[in-house]
Amino acid sequence: MDTPAVEVEEISRVFEPRKKPPVVALEGVSLSIPTSEIHGLLGPNGAGKTTLVKILSTVLLPTSGRARVLGHDVVEETRAVRPLIGIVFGGERGLYWRLTGRQNLEYWGALYKLSARDTKARTQRLIERVGLAERADERVETYSRGMKQRLHLARGLVGDAKVLFLDEPTTGMDPLAAREFRTLIAELRNEGRTILLATHDMVEAETVCDRVTLIDRGRVVATESPRTLGQVISRFQRIDVEGVDRPVLDEIRALGGVSSVTEADGGARIEIDEEGATSVVLGRLVDAGATSVKTSLPSLEEVYVQLIGDRGLEI
Amino acid sequence: MRAFLAGFGIEMRLIRAAPDALIPLVTTPLFALIFLAIVRESGRPDLQPDALMAPVLMTLWWIALQNAGNMITGDRWQALLEPLLATPASLASVLLGRIVALTCLGLVSFFEVWAIGELVYGVAIPFEHPLPLVLTLLATALATAGVSVAFAAVFVLTRNAYTFTNSLSYPLYLLGGVLVPVAILPGWMQPVSSAIFMSWSADLLRASLKPPSIDDLWQRLGTVVLLGAISFLIGRAILFHVMQRMRAKGELAAA
Repeated sequence: MDTPAVEVEEISRVFEPRKKPPVVALEGVSLSIPTSEIHGLLGPNGAGKTTLVKILSTVLLPTSGRARVLGHDVVEETRAVRPLIGIVFGGERGLYWRLTGRQNLEYWGALYKLSARDTKARTQRLIERVGLAERADERVETYSRGMKQRLHLARGLVGDAKVLFLDEPTTGMDPLAAREFRTLIAELRNEGRTILLATHDMVEAETVCDRVTLIDRGRVVATESPRTLGQVISRFQRIDVEGVDRPVLDEIRALGGVSSVTEADGGARIEIDEEGATSVVLGRLVDAGATSVKTSLPSLEEVYVQLIGDRGLEI
Repeated sequence: MRAFLAGFGIEMRLIRAAPDALIPLVTTPLFALIFLAIVRESGRPDLQPDALMAPVLMTLWWIALQNAGNMITGDRWQALLEPLLATPASLASVLLGRIVALTCLGLVSFFEVWAIGELVYGVAIPFEHPLPLVLTLLATALATAGVSVAFAAVFVLTRNAYTFTNSLSYPLYLLGGVLVPVAILPGWMQPVSSAIFMSWSADLLRASLKPPSIDDLWQRLGTVVLLGAISFLIGRAILFHVMQRMRAKGELAAA
């Protein structure tokens, strides 16, 4: 059996800020990512995504547990891990703003011990690949946020990484650039690279990832393909309705697949937790002459609450 | 070596983009004028070469320490430290390359004092032993960088590196015999001075500007380089432990 690109076993991380109670960022996280997979790490802000990415990138030590990249321990074998990985953290920082994009990349290339000639050649290829050729010799401080993100990505690739850790890489990109970025991610996978993509963007995860791990409050909630995950989430629809009487709401409350009916401000919110129940409820509401009916999916966080509340952490 | 060159190259480019790291070069001529005025007013023209060399050593040290003190902290605030540590490059080698770039540029101060001496007082630098002079300046630039790596590592642990860089300079100027030779300092200070590379540099610089032949040139030059190298190795070890501590505490990234 092939060595997994990333293997995480019961990783925990507790931060102990001064004069504040300890913060559990990760608690018993396990994960295995085969080579050439785009794996999404999906969760709200503060879920522990960045903490996990940092541990795998060797820049943060776990409190307990083990993690390996291509078979090398990220704590004990940092020298073996570092040439194999590339990291892209989100945000505008992480670049020398007073230097040009090309100068930034040449510096990072040299840090990966490339020869001067290889560094220049690879820099040029990456600049073209991420669409910065026209602005490569201008200072980074003149770049838009999206351009800086593309430069971040090029920096992550300059060492020819086998495993890429991307933390919110499309933050600040316009929709077109984000779409091009996702195409690029798929190309990188086709080249045999493994990508761990931490994001809170559900659409991004669904679009590019082969599998997705839902993470919340430092715990893995689920690891599934996006399609399976989408089905799980779509079960938990909700309906906001106005203009129906209480007896109708009581009748709906008794229907199968309806988890709750909450009345407020002359209307009501109906929560559905079973596939197929939505159409039944909608039919009954229309028959009852509802003046306004709106269906929506709950937020990811709300799905987490549903999942954890209903089935514990066994998913 | 590649990491060293990467550090050297990036610092040169950063300075070209924003030369504020070289501000101490602005003060070099001022110190040269002050010291020259003092020795001339005291009727000691024989000390004029000493007065010219002191600002060169002070500038080298100031440039190196001031920038080294903030190098890691600055990278941390710009979110550059984590990606740097995640590369295969040695952080200490990158730092050394960056500081050597600064000290090499700091050698411009030699030409500044040469010019100011000639232009203001008509005092020429007596090039009695030009090769030892050049070698001493280069060895001093390297040793200064090595020692600065050690300080850079320690400064990461402090909240205000500026305070330390300012207050550390003056004891070093004194114990390093920058203007006043160590031989005329109080006796108890002399053993301490001999452990400071700059005291060897300062003595060699002064000797290379005077007619008598220089005793034990290679040994003394070697001592300058050796003390710098030992400091660098100590700095590298400190840096490793500081980075381990920051990895453990999650302090590599600034909020």
